[in-house]
Amino acid sequence: MKKTIAVLLGVLMLTGLFLVANASEPGKLLIWADDTRAPIMLNVAKQFTEVYGVEVEVQEIESGETRGQLATAGPAGEGPDILIGAHDWLGELILNGLIEPIILEPATIAEFNPVAIDAFKWGNLLYGVPYATENVALIRNTDLVPEVPATFEELLTVAAALTDLEAGEYGFLIQEPDPYHTFALYSAGGGYVFGKDANGVLDPCDIGLDNAGSIAGATILDQMVKDGIEIAGAGYGEVTGAFNASNLGMMIGGPWTLSDIKANSINYGVSAIPPINGNAPGVFVGVQGFMISSFSENKVLANLFIKDFLISTDVMLGLYIEGDRPPAYLPALAFLAGNEDIQGFAAAAATAIPMPKIAEMASVWDAWIGALELIVNQEQDPATAMQEAADEIRALLGCE
Amino acid sequence: MIWRYIAKHSLKILFLGVLCAVSVYVFVFLIAKGLYIPSVMSLIGAGFITYIFLSEKRYPIRWLIPGLLFLAVMVVYPIGYTLVSSFTNVGTGHMLSKDQAIDHLLDRSYTPDNAIAYTYTAFADTSGDLALILEGADQMILYVDGRATDIAWSDPRLVDEDSDGTTDRFGDYSRLTILQTVQRLSVIEDYRIEYKGTTIGLENLNEFRTRAPLYVYDEEAETMKDLQTGIVYTAREGIFTAPDGEEIYPGYKAGIGLRNFVKLVTNPQISGPFAKVFLWTFIYATLTVLLNFALGLFTAILLNDPFMRFRTIYRVLAMIPYALPAFITILVWRGMLNVHFGVINHMLVALFGSGAHVPWLQNAMWAKVSVLLVNLWLGYPYMMLISLGALQSIPASLYEAARVDGATWWQRFWKITLPLLLMPLAPLLIGAFAFNFNNFTLIYLLTEGGPAIAGASTPAGATDILISYTYNLAFAGEHGNQLGLAAAVSVMIFLIVATISAINFRMTGTLEELSKNV
Repeated sequence: MKKTIAVLLGVLMLTGLFLVANASEPGKLLIWADDTRAPIMLNVAKQFTEVYGVEVEVQEIESGETRGQLATAGPAGEGPDILIGAHDWLGELILNGLIEPIILEPATIAEFNPVAIDAFKWGNLLYGVPYATENVALIRNTDLVPEVPATFEELLTVAAALTDLEAGEYGFLIQEPDPYHTFALYSAGGGYVFGKDANGVLDPCDIGLDNAGSIAGATILDQMVKDGIEIAGAGYGEVTGAFNASNLGMMIGGPWTLSDIKANSINYGVSAIPPINGNAPGVFVGVQGFMISSFSENKVLANLFIKDFLISTDVMLGLYIEGDRPPAYLPALAFLAGNEDIQGFAAAAATAIPMPKIAEMASVWDAWIGALELIVNQEQDPATAMQEAADEIRALLGCE
Repeated sequence: MIWRYIAKHSLKILFLGVLCAVSVYVFVFLIAKGLYIPSVMSLIGAGFITYIFLSEKRYPIRWLIPGLLFLAVMVVYPIGYTLVSSFTNVGTGHMLSKDQAIDHLLDRSYTPDNAIAYTYTAFADTSGDLALILEGADQMILYVDGRATDIAWSDPRLVDEDSDGTTDRFGDYSRLTILQTVQRLSVIEDYRIEYKGTTIGLENLNEFRTRAPLYVYDEEAETMKDLQTGIVYTAREGIFTAPDGEEIYPGYKAGIGLRNFVKLVTNPQISGPFAKVFLWTFIYATLTVLLNFALGLFTAILLNDPFMRFRTIYRVLAMIPYALPAFITILVWRGMLNVHFGVINHMLVALFGSGAHVPWLQNAMWAKVSVLLVNLWLGYPYMMLISLGALQSIPASLYEAARVDGATWWQRFWKITLPLLLMPLAPLLIGAFAFNFNNFTLIYLLTEGGPAIAGASTPAGATDILISYTYNLAFAGEHGNQLGLAAAVSVMIFLIVATISAINFRMTGTLEELSKNV
């Protein structure tokens, strides 16, 4: 008995202590940002606190973890008010009920790259405020390839002349098996992943990976392998490694390759991927932006933070400097008119297609990668490989 | 009396006090989050520990407590969670609990055609309670103490103290500046002002607006009615569905019985490659254990030879693959095995000419060889290590006797070394089998399950093992993640591994009997 009383005494005292420590803090913003974005957010947060006296906390969270963490932390009331992420998360986040629409004035919307706004739209609602776009373009070593090839056919001729596999010299490489980097080949001839229905919404059962355009693109890839231009085993590390060692004339790459290229003092140029059979190829564009959690207790405050503080040329330029991605905010982009890299990527993005953001996209990658693998390894002809991949995806998605 | 007891056992009581306090705190905390099972478990756990520490009879169990706790938290709970998940549809679109999903939907509102926008002014009294004055086109509303009433500027409670044309006070409430208002936005945002049959809510920093809830929930019928369109959505397997099949997201986690397991068996997309993947998984795990053990034992016997010079150095060198993090070394191997850029093919071509261009990761057969080779390199030091230990325990007198009887080296190995080694090592070999059966890291980092198989109708590659295939199923199926289905496959894998291990244990049990008779 006395033991029980003694223990109970301790329990009471300490429980009291703990309960006091868990007082909630209303009216405080929490932002989730990855390690490159977090310092910029901290800076903006400080300004916000100075102006409004509202505390803003920035929590560093790895980009790849954000969705998973949001799905568990959000409903538990521990999620952020604002998060930073890519537009192709939208499908998953909306299906899971994790993010809220954001309403912007038409005048504000007009200040953004229309492709970026389109990317963050789901139906008629905007679910994120974009800050950067990213897409691949043709990057060439200007010492090896001084002139931008006018056509893709010319590009292949230049590449063939530069290629000497025995000596480890390559003319033109696309990392493989990689649908994202090879997408230009299919899109030029009219290939697509998901078609749009009458309302302009992506239709997960209209799969265009086995249409004439896609097969024509896969055939070009196949021919590049047969001609010894494209080779098996050329992954991201191999392609960028060869480029950074001046052993590669041209590659398809994104802004993320530039820092290493600069570090290796390679003279380079960024330009649009030249027309294939006279058709301008479209590349996938990914858009990054700010979103508001559905479980936020401070939605109006979060809106205020985004609209009054994040949508500004200073902040958008700050995000550009950290990430090297073209700003989606046009006044900030205008500041970079003299930047050749940005202009090159922008030129490639002129015919860009937002990366499909419906959650069904998850079932596309494996089959598509498999088809490219079979083509590059010369185990299947391109038409059959693409046909089978498309059928596989249809079966996975239950579209027969 | 009690104080003497406290003095004597003050440390123990302090510890138990802290423990129970934490558990009560955790209990309240988890209850508040709606996690009832973990909350009760935390209380039971703390109660159990307290009982054991207070009861003299249960004294010895104290030493097992840390182990038991970790077992419960790290093993039993995840297994239980996986098992429960395998009977639900948890996954993309079904991540919330039913209550959360309903709350979420009830929170949605639309702006009706006759919506009115109001600007507002916020006031606060000394205790921090708020009063709001809303101004619409032709009405003015006072909202205080949760009630909305009409008010006019001529109301005597509205005072303009400095006569600058703006109201500074409302009774005891004084006007908030914009900054002060912003600081209270999260409170104001929660207000749902009921005024003459309409609901008014905060739209943005500057205005309130008439809002109509989009859905109304009927708890009895489990239906969600869209007030804008009139469509009634019925709860069906974790999602509210309209008669025409239209669904409103988010859905919620719902039990679907054995559906996931049935799907594994009946869906040709899944069951088709299952047998093939299972066969390769089994072959891969068996071969890996055999090869690794053979090489490990061989090097152990070599390095156990007292006449070998520098054997300590060799032992250290042989341990390197085990000591380096596999995450790094597997990626290095992947680079070395690259068909055009890899150093291995460069060497082979230099030695044997361009015919020796091995498609290590491109060809199904070679990819399997690569997986086994890399795993051999990664795994043999462990086998060597345990063999070295076990070799020491074999009495030298047995070998002497055998030698006297004229046994050859080969006979000594088969009749003495191997049987006596297998006895202590068998459980470890079974453990290695189970580990490699689920060695996701190796497959995912080295081949990603590839290369693809031509003509396959599913995303199962040539080197996919069950666990990497499960990963593909879980994260690349239909629309997004199918965690419930993945949990079902995990349960199946668990059953398979458990069965194989049980059979193995029984077989090695017979070995043990055998060695007793020797």
